Amino acid sequence: MRRKGTLAAIPWIGPSLVLIAAIVAFPACYMVWTSTRDLTDYGQDRGSAGLDNFRALFEIRELGSVLVHTVIWVVAVVLITLVLSAGLAQFLNKDFPGRTAVRMAVLVPWAASVVMTTTIFYYMLDPDVGIANRFLVDIGLLDRGFGFTKQPTPAFLVAIGVAVFVSIPFTTYTILAGLQSIPAEISEAGRVDGASAWQRYRFLTLPQLRPAIAVATIINIINSFNSLPILQVITGSIAGFQSDTTTTLMFKLIRQNQEIDTAAAMSVLNFVLIIVIIAIYVKVIRPTQEVDG
Amino acid sequence: MKRPLHGVLAGVAMVTGLALAISSCGFGSKDSADSDTTINFLAPAYSDGATGTKALWDGIIADFQKKNPDITVNLQMESWNSINDVVRTKLQSKSTTPDILNIDAYASFANDGMLYPATEIVSPQVLSDIQPGFAKNASLNGTQYALPLFASTRTLFYNTDLFAKAGIASPPKTWAELTDAAKKIQALGGGVSGYGLPLGSEEAQGETSIWTFGAGGSWSDGDKITVDTPQNLEGVRAMRELADAGVTQPNPGATDRKDVINAFIQGKIGMIEGLPPTIGQITAKNPSLKYSTAPSPTKSGTPVTLGVADHLMAFKKDGKKTESIKKFLDFFYSADVYANFVSKEGFIPITNSAAAKLASDPVTKAFGSTLAVAQFYPSNNAKWAAAQGAIRQQMGTIAQGTDPAQVLQRIQEAAK
Repeated sequence: MRRKGTLAAIPWIGPSLVLIAAIVAFPACYMVWTSTRDLTDYGQDRGSAGLDNFRALFEIRELGSVLVHTVIWVVAVVLITLVLSAGLAQFLNKDFPGRTAVRMAVLVPWAASVVMTTTIFYYMLDPDVGIANRFLVDIGLLDRGFGFTKQPTPAFLVAIGVAVFVSIPFTTYTILAGLQSIPAEISEAGRVDGASAWQRYRFLTLPQLRPAIAVATIINIINSFNSLPILQVITGSIAGFQSDTTTTLMFKLIRQNQEIDTAAAMSVLNFVLIIVIIAIYVKVIRPTQEVDG
Repeated sequence: MKRPLHGVLAGVAMVTGLALAISSCGFGSKDSADSDTTINFLAPAYSDGATGTKALWDGIIADFQKKNPDITVNLQMESWNSINDVVRTKLQSKSTTPDILNIDAYASFANDGMLYPATEIVSPQVLSDIQPGFAKNASLNGTQYALPLFASTRTLFYNTDLFAKAGIASPPKTWAELTDAAKKIQALGGGVSGYGLPLGSEEAQGETSIWTFGAGGSWSDGDKITVDTPQNLEGVRAMRELADAGVTQPNPGATDRKDVINAFIQGKIGMIEGLPPTIGQITAKNPSLKYSTAPSPTKSGTPVTLGVADHLMAFKKDGKKTESIKKFLDFFYSADVYANFVSKEGFIPITNSAAAKLASDPVTKAFGSTLAVAQFYPSNNAKWAAAQGAIRQQMGTIAQGTDPAQVLQRIQEAAK
């Protein structure tokens, strides 16, 4: 009975199946296939490499610490973004004069290219010519500009800050959309029952926001996990791998080492990682759970 | 339901057929873009603007076609940032593979038998005109596969104003003198650094080579890559000591070459290892800077420096274009054309005839003497690419506290 139903549905879901196969399944399979090929540094296929590319990848001594950085990067960026955006969305949901202008202003970092935004931060923090450093020197806090972007740990923290900055607009708008779909009566009922502002937010608003936050979180996880430009611009010239994620390591494998086959193996690992991260998130947080269920 | 769909399909088929028919009779078809007298030339831009690389090549090609109206040269320019990706894409198919390519590394193409030997693409006169060290650097197992385009070596640039202020009489010849001079300049204060040490990931292998070569080291021995050797360790330790002494710009492990050069041009650094184009950059950005050049300091004072050459190479493909390619390259390497190209780009000529012509050119004056003591990267070794990548990534960590011996070991492992 069930099988018959599936078959009958084919004509209706067929086009989307074809689309998924063409733009998701085929590239993914091709990527896996590429990772098992022996490629020259200019991309000529020299035949099968078996698992040699993966062996080369796991021989990279820093891979373990790069994986740890990746987790710190994703968790920090997503969590800070969510907390700040939730507050910002709450504020933008209030009615105040000039609200439209403020809402538009929040969109600006999103409209600008990430490379551009990051480059502005990079120059602001430059030890010699950056205005942020200049300010710190002028008010007497520093004697000479500090290399915020010149040492692995500070630069990594700066990159997290920039990533949060560029992720906030989308997240804020998603949560704002969620807030606006909540009927005002619910909060009013809470007020009548004598709940404090925090209690109303925690027990009435937040559960209603679950779907919006779930969407924002998943998209932010994917975005920050795959983000290359921010780390590339800010930490790209720092030697060593102390501020690399798996994505920037892949870029270094292609650009600096000319090892596109090892990079292919890295991208397969990256693909598996993101699937695992999302699976854990879905399993633990259950974002699709019914609100009232 | 069936009939309209049928109509759509028929329409799609007709449009496709029409498109195929149009494309087969002219646009992008093989006979016009890929005939025996058409040369597809892919080159990177060394300089931008109205007098940049593109204008130079356009001029050379126009002059060439005036003399050889039957030969067409299609020039495609790419930035250095993207040319490797473009080459990778183009080599996937024979019809898009360039006939002549200008890039730094030729060894992997030559190893795979994709390149013409140099004897087939230029006349013997041109071959014998090329300086022997550079010809050898363009050879693999005794056969020359690439033609050096022009050379770049390094030499010490020093700010004579700062030297006078710090009371230093002559440019340093040895590392000891270099450290001493850097200390004196650093002591002047005012945000001025003694020596610019760029170990960021852009070009760390360049600066490192000057120091390891200066200790008598080398990156290869026969067909082995030798990174972890006592001489190289001595060179790297010397860099570390300079950084630890605090007489370099802050954070040498994260400073790119271009930043150090810019700071020198602004008078903020006492000494740097500069390149030929640095002279042009100083003229353009800060002509009032008082500076001079001197041989790179080494451990014992015996001069040695790093030599780098970019190359022209020709891909075999179907093997019918050698005559056209030979005509074009012979024209390019003729003394006048070549000397003009090299002096406009501000590099060092690698043919004897052009060197004679450019004897009074400021770049050739400053760098000409370094050619004889130039030592090269082992770029004809297939494993050098991995070693070079590892040097870029790891070398700067010595300025963050990593032990030089350990860094060299890791780079050696990467080159296995």
